[in-house]
Amino acid sequence: MGDTAYLLFDVFLDTISFWWVIIPTIFLGLIVGGIPGFSAANTIIILMPLTLAMGLDTGLIFMVTLYCAARMGAGIPAILVNIPGTAGAAATPLDGYPMARQGKGQQALAISFVSSCIGGLLTTIMALALMPVLARVGFYMHSVEMIVVMLFGISLIASIAAQDMVKGLIAGFLGLMIGSIGTDVVYATPRATFGFLELYDGVPLIPALVGLFAVSEAFVIIEKTVIVNESAEPKKPSWHDTFEGVNIALSRWWHIVWTSIIGLVIGVIPGAGASIASFVAYQQSRAFSDTPEKYGTGHPEGLIAPESANNGVTSGTLVPLLVLGIPGGATAAIMLVVMQYHGVSFGPSLFEHSPRVGYGMFMAMAVSYLLMIFTILPLSRYMSHVTTVPTIYLAPMIIAFTLVGAFVPREYMFDMYLALAFGVLGYIARRTGYHVAAILIGVILGPLLETYFLRSLKKSDGDIMVLFSSTLGNILWVALIVSLVLPIWFDMRRKRRREVPAE
Amino acid sequence: MKTSLNRRRFLQAGAASGLVLATPGIVRAATFPERNINVIIPTAEGGGADRNFRAFTSVWKEKLGTEFEPGYYPGASGRVGYEVYMGKSEPDCYNLIFGNMGPEVLNWAMQEPSFAIDDYFYFGRVDTDPCCLFVGAESPLQSMEDIVNASKERKLTVGTSRMAHPASIGILALGEKLGIEFNLIPLQGGKGTIAGAVTGEVDFSVLTSGSVIAAGDSVKTLLVFGKNRVGEALDNAPDINDAYDMTLPEMLSARAFAIHRKAAEDHPDRYEVLTSTFKETFEDPALLKAYVAESGTPEYLNYGGAEECAEFMAAMLELGARYKPLLSGA
Amino acid sequence: MSTKPRDGRRALGAELIIPVLAVVFTLYFFSSIWHSPWTAKVSAFMVGGILLLVCAIFFIRCALWIREGSGTLGFGTLFSRDDIATGRIGLFATTVGYCVLIGYLGFTLTTFLFLALSMIILAKGRNIGFITLISAVMALGGWAVFIWAFDTRFPRGWFETTMKAVLSNG
Repeated sequence: MGDTAYLLFDVFLDTISFWWVIIPTIFLGLIVGGIPGFSAANTIIILMPLTLAMGLDTGLIFMVTLYCAARMGAGIPAILVNIPGTAGAAATPLDGYPMARQGKGQQALAISFVSSCIGGLLTTIMALALMPVLARVGFYMHSVEMIVVMLFGISLIASIAAQDMVKGLIAGFLGLMIGSIGTDVVYATPRATFGFLELYDGVPLIPALVGLFAVSEAFVIIEKTVIVNESAEPKKPSWHDTFEGVNIALSRWWHIVWTSIIGLVIGVIPGAGASIASFVAYQQSRAFSDTPEKYGTGHPEGLIAPESANNGVTSGTLVPLLVLGIPGGATAAIMLVVMQYHGVSFGPSLFEHSPRVGYGMFMAMAVSYLLMIFTILPLSRYMSHVTTVPTIYLAPMIIAFTLVGAFVPREYMFDMYLALAFGVLGYIARRTGYHVAAILIGVILGPLLETYFLRSLKKSDGDIMVLFSSTLGNILWVALIVSLVLPIWFDMRRKRRREVPAE
Repeated sequence: MKTSLNRRRFLQAGAASGLVLATPGIVRAATFPERNINVIIPTAEGGGADRNFRAFTSVWKEKLGTEFEPGYYPGASGRVGYEVYMGKSEPDCYNLIFGNMGPEVLNWAMQEPSFAIDDYFYFGRVDTDPCCLFVGAESPLQSMEDIVNASKERKLTVGTSRMAHPASIGILALGEKLGIEFNLIPLQGGKGTIAGAVTGEVDFSVLTSGSVIAAGDSVKTLLVFGKNRVGEALDNAPDINDAYDMTLPEMLSARAFAIHRKAAEDHPDRYEVLTSTFKETFEDPALLKAYVAESGTPEYLNYGGAEECAEFMAAMLELGARYKPLLSGA
Repeated sequence: MSTKPRDGRRALGAELIIPVLAVVFTLYFFSSIWHSPWTAKVSAFMVGGILLLVCAIFFIRCALWIREGSGTLGFGTLFSRDDIATGRIGLFATTVGYCVLIGYLGFTLTTFLFLALSMIILAKGRNIGFITLISAVMALGGWAVFIWAFDTRFPRGWFETTMKAVLSNG
């Protein structure tokens, strides 16, 4: 034990000495994370010749830092202009953007940065300490259990739809239906592709994401001169909002802790990802809140939950990569390639043969989060000015920026048209009282749910009872039902207390 | 390729100066190639095909005296890339496609593409990577015997990257031979297939061996659907044909360059330059070095010309047709 | 349910667009999987079935509202005269133009034209100098990042080919 502690300390000092790599990479990560379509994964690929030319230590620290910073960067446009740069940030604008519109953009950024960093740092330490245990999670979470996890996220549709259930469900199920476009995951028969090969692999997420949220938003904001509501009192630029944001986040430290643990646990399951984690965290946060009605209107907890969860995923994905040699996501897969290039082989023997590499990756992550909080918190004051740029300039820029972003991941012109089509759909939905977030949850989580569902059915040769065949699965089912019923019960009790007659 | 400009300039400068003059191939290449060769890769940048491509062309370009410019068109299990190649690329020998003859040809057997399959052909095979059967390190099934015994009691689930894949055919053929029914579960790609076996989502998995080797000791290989050319790296697993007295053709992931048939017919001289320099590449020891540097398995480098490729393609189409009901659910 | 008519009558015509689209799309979806294996159908029929059901409920509700006189088949919430005044129609036209023209004029030039034109429309012709300047800066920035540095496959046009020639000579 003492040896490990000494080794950890040594690795820590080593990692700190790479600050000159970490700090520039943080800024690079923030930028690529913020541009929709770019991500840590494709940036590493683009910079592959550079990455491979670096030494093992440098390359490793570079990739890990980029990964964390890109995750954090994706939250910035999500909060300020309603553009989630990646699917992992899709739950961030639910409460982040309303805050920005109320003139609390700076505060929202500070909350997001603090919860991301604390969530990320905390889960990194937990992942490091509990690695052997966490690595087992994937052994229990199979397709049946994952179906229930997905349903946690999808049940958010019902919560969002609370005001008008029928219209909310129409939006959510339309999203699920759109998400089912593409070949079925077992026999690869194309479905509803309108004859486009580009849709065989399903609806690409980034075009759907930016179309529904950002393009449609651009057409709405031009009614106003700036994003910030006129009702929000104009403020003199100061650090006050940043401190207030930090304060809000810190005073809700417990919220950060448990939502980031949701992210960590979902992150260690190979194949699951940040989008599921952030939706599930948001749903759970809302379900157990005293003020569920505030969610969606700019409630800090609705921002903390997805941001700490998706950073929890970041540290979580390292666990199966390092312990089992299974990359949990696209970025982890590329890390695997780069490490193999340097002759490091992942898997159960990693910590025997090259413990410094294994611990080094966690340490790099911890140090990045630590340095990140100091480097980017000050930026919140300047970044938030975006919301005061006149919309006559901002709207066209958002459109160009997002259409371009839609193109980048696959480099198909088709994806630009698709983003435009989703923009039109999103605009109609906004104007006529359908929730775009409900559509989006369907589009993102629908295909994942279907994958796990079909996999379970195929495994059981079509027996639907397979859904209730595992103990852990059944526990999760009960938990799901509880988390759906409890809020209703709480709500009724509260209403009775206030003696307000139920509707 | 989305290289940084620096790298690209560097490469261009390099190609333009020393390399070109020094290569013997340049004498023939005075007329062809006059410009860069565009290569469509029907999978994502940074993937296995991409690395393989970079390694191979880093040597081939010297023989040919020109640069190769890859364009990535992933999607629909490679269909998008082939459709773009057949539909949009000029058949002038300046446009090639670098595909995987195993799964991609099998695709055509499941659902025909919009072009005639005969309109293109593979002329240069780079490597052959046999598929194999493996279990997770902690699986209760640790030998082929375990698997055979267990399958007498229940239908075992088998992870595969997708249904229409040579590995799936391998396991179906084995099941046919032994009178066992296996339940194939597609796990969306190599990562998922390995994870499925390791975490116990499925009883065991089948996959191309290159990815299995990369997974290291978290998995154990029990059977190779072809020759085990790497021995220890695949746990000395036996060849399916030796172990079960079968005559199954090797179930391969086989990367190869293909060209429009029209291009080869209209420009026999250019096609000649391509095939001869392709063959020369294999004689250069630099290829092995480049291949190892991109973390490929050097034992799998395996030259094949148009004839070998045509033979393999025909075998894949035939097996695909035979197993179509099982693989496509039709 | 909280859905009560707001001041005046509800413009149900606009609200019906999404459900009608949903129904049409679902029926198209079903037609595309009619002869597919069960794996393609299972969840699509389940999800599509519920979607059709909730749409049907909404249609019935709308019919009732219209009979009551609390709703009309109007499109007031979606389209109005304001859309022309605010430049929304103009912005939409330039956006469609952007997607269409980028294939012919290339990335940089089209981006510049799109930004400049849309901003001019939205600003109702004010600040043309400033708008031209920032559009040019943005378009050039985009060119530098996407074409020059990252070499993405954005359509190349006159500007890109010229710049390439200039850069390779210089």
